[in-house]
Amino acid sequence: MTQDVEMKEQAAPPSDSLSSTAPSIFHHLKEIASLIETGAYAREVRRISRAVRLTMALRKKLKASSLSAFLNFVLVPGSEVHSRLSSFLPKEDEQDMEVDTATSGAQAPIKNPLPELEIYCYLLVLIFLIDQKKYNEAKACSSASIARLKTVNRRTVDVLASRLYFYYSLCYELTGDLAEIRGNLLALHRIATLRHDELGQETLLNLLLRNYLHYNLYDQAEKLRSKAPRFEAHSNQQFSRYLFYLGKIRTIQLEYTDAKESLLQAARKAPQAALGFRVQCNKWAIIVRLLLGEIPERTVFMQKGMEKALRPYFELTNAVRIGDLELFRKVAEKFSSTFSSDGTNNLIVRLRHNVIRTGLRNISISYSRISLVDVAKKLRLDSPNPVADAESIVSKAIRDGAIDATLDHANGWMVSKETGDIYSTNEPQIAFNSRIAFCLNMHNEAVRALRFPPNSHKEKESAEKRRERQQQEQELAKHIAEEDDDDF
Amino acid sequence: MDPKLREVSQIFERFKAAFVLNDFGTCSTQLSQLKVLLTEFKSLPPLFQETPNAIHELTIARDIYEHAVVLSVKMEDQDAFERDFFQLKSYYTDARGRLPPSPQEYPILGLNLLRLLVQNRIAEFHTELELLSQSALDNPCIKHAVELEQSFMEGAYHRVLSARQTVPDANYAYFMDLLAKTVRDEIAGCSEKAYDRLSTSDARQMLLFSSDQELLEYVREEHPEWEIKDGFIIFQKVKDSVPCKEIPSLQLITQTLSYARELERIV
Repeated sequence: MTQDVEMKEQAAPPSDSLSSTAPSIFHHLKEIASLIETGAYAREVRRISRAVRLTMALRKKLKASSLSAFLNFVLVPGSEVHSRLSSFLPKEDEQDMEVDTATSGAQAPIKNPLPELEIYCYLLVLIFLIDQKKYNEAKACSSASIARLKTVNRRTVDVLASRLYFYYSLCYELTGDLAEIRGNLLALHRIATLRHDELGQETLLNLLLRNYLHYNLYDQAEKLRSKAPRFEAHSNQQFSRYLFYLGKIRTIQLEYTDAKESLLQAARKAPQAALGFRVQCNKWAIIVRLLLGEIPERTVFMQKGMEKALRPYFELTNAVRIGDLELFRKVAEKFSSTFSSDGTNNLIVRLRHNVIRTGLRNISISYSRISLVDVAKKLRLDSPNPVADAESIVSKAIRDGAIDATLDHANGWMVSKETGDIYSTNEPQIAFNSRIAFCLNMHNEAVRALRFPPNSHKEKESAEKRRERQQQEQELAKHIAEEDDDDF
Repeated sequence: MDPKLREVSQIFERFKAAFVLNDFGTCSTQLSQLKVLLTEFKSLPPLFQETPNAIHELTIARDIYEHAVVLSVKMEDQDAFERDFFQLKSYYTDARGRLPPSPQEYPILGLNLLRLLVQNRIAEFHTELELLSQSALDNPCIKHAVELEQSFMEGAYHRVLSARQTVPDANYAYFMDLLAKTVRDEIAGCSEKAYDRLSTSDARQMLLFSSDQELLEYVREEHPEWEIKDGFIIFQKVKDSVPCKEIPSLQLITQTLSYARELERIV
């Protein structure tokens, strides 16, 4: 379950020209700080999210010395925040390269730091502490930051806040105290809702769901989920997480069709780098598809980087596909530790029923008439009264529409019906229609999802960049024209 | 000892005496008295205040609710069972760290699983199941319910009925009887689809009736559409998916028009 928590960080590409020139981390941090500042004054949330992205690119290089230098630069030394945050940082030898710039920066401290910058410092220190595996300090730091956040009500802080919520929950999860912060998260969610902070609501809802599911509290999770306000997703990562949790809840509650949809969508929406998360989604999706009576294609198990993790599920699928109860039992036993650590053990118990169904379907396709004694033998039902069991199992399968057959009680056999010609019905047309509707809907969604950042055209563009862009546009236009020619 | 606590334990003692004698009237009046008294303890859920008598109060409250659940089974009152069980549940989950585990815990959880099964609330059944640890699943009381659910889903109804003999606790009998009724309805529903015709003696055996009279009674009440002729029950088959003769023109037109409109928007 912990693999997926890291997905955001890897997902942030170092997408800026800043990273090409690399003077010092302190320098970078200063630039980020100025970015936040302008963002805060201009009330442009976009700039702040960019600052967060840039920070994630720097994450691996953070050092205590550069951090404390940055704190000295942004915050007033001796102020409450400054002393609290510096106390979390380990005292290191100050004989670093950074010291020079640090002292020069510290000469001109900003008198009253913006709340955005203050929160940003919290975030920076928190990330650093988590990366250094100092979880207890991280817990103290995150709790302090959350207490501070509750008093700040600015839209420009929301982006930073949502990241802080995330790390807050993460460090409690790493120390195994998730239950402790549940009340706090609920309170934060309430605050975020009152402030119309949708990004915060989204993040907190996911954290709460994660919190509940961590303790298998599916009932509470579903109650919260169904009552929490929903809106258009702001962050793709949060949305795919939400879909994953939703899929899990629905699986447990036997709504397999909806569960499959959510899980597959979660796996598709997740960023490419979030391998652990996608593996988890795939595992659940495979089981749900099996429970639905589908057999996932081989390509599902052969996805890059997942072969090993999905191996147990591959063998399980194989057993279900053949419809062999004995093999199924063996596989379930062999990988029981994997399945229980994935939390899928109970679902696999449910699968037994599908194995029988598949076996029965194979029998009904192969034989036009077969005695119930043979059915019991083929299914390897081990019970005191196999024939009676076979009879009732078959009759239930007929009622549920799994096989098309009739039973003859007096003679004790099962007669399979001829499969009708499906093309003489409306069925193909309905299937075709649903596919067309899906494609059209996909197109419409894509159009709706196009986002145009406000004022983007006014942003200063270097001459070189403009030339590059114009050239690209020209090429594109030419390309399109050529394609048009080909068409007609 | 705290006077309130003493009062509660005194009433509870009297309640237990009446409980053993199966005096349900006295039991329920005393139980409501007890429940009112329990509301005054601040150490109980959801407040969980750390009072000096907390452990004692929690233990006695849990004991009272456990008895209440069993009482509701004896009185065959499913709604009361649900109410009392939910009150009891937080003692098992949220107060786990504060109290030593109760010996009644698994039998009662098993009873609840069985109740969900009888009421055909399978989704909730599985939600409850997720809360149980591996060791809990190995407990005979829980295992019994889990295996029942499996047999039920598979359609191995004989196994469900024979489980009646192996109940782990005497209180399970009530729900097992209810389950037998559910199973009968299931079998009837399945037979209707699976057989063209069935002799009355076979049907009687299959539906677990002891005499033809009972069978005829059941058919008349539950399935008046079944036809009984010459010692056979003939099931009326609903003919499904007849090959399509007519083209559903109106539907096709609307669909095609909508495609055209959508395509226009794209191009």
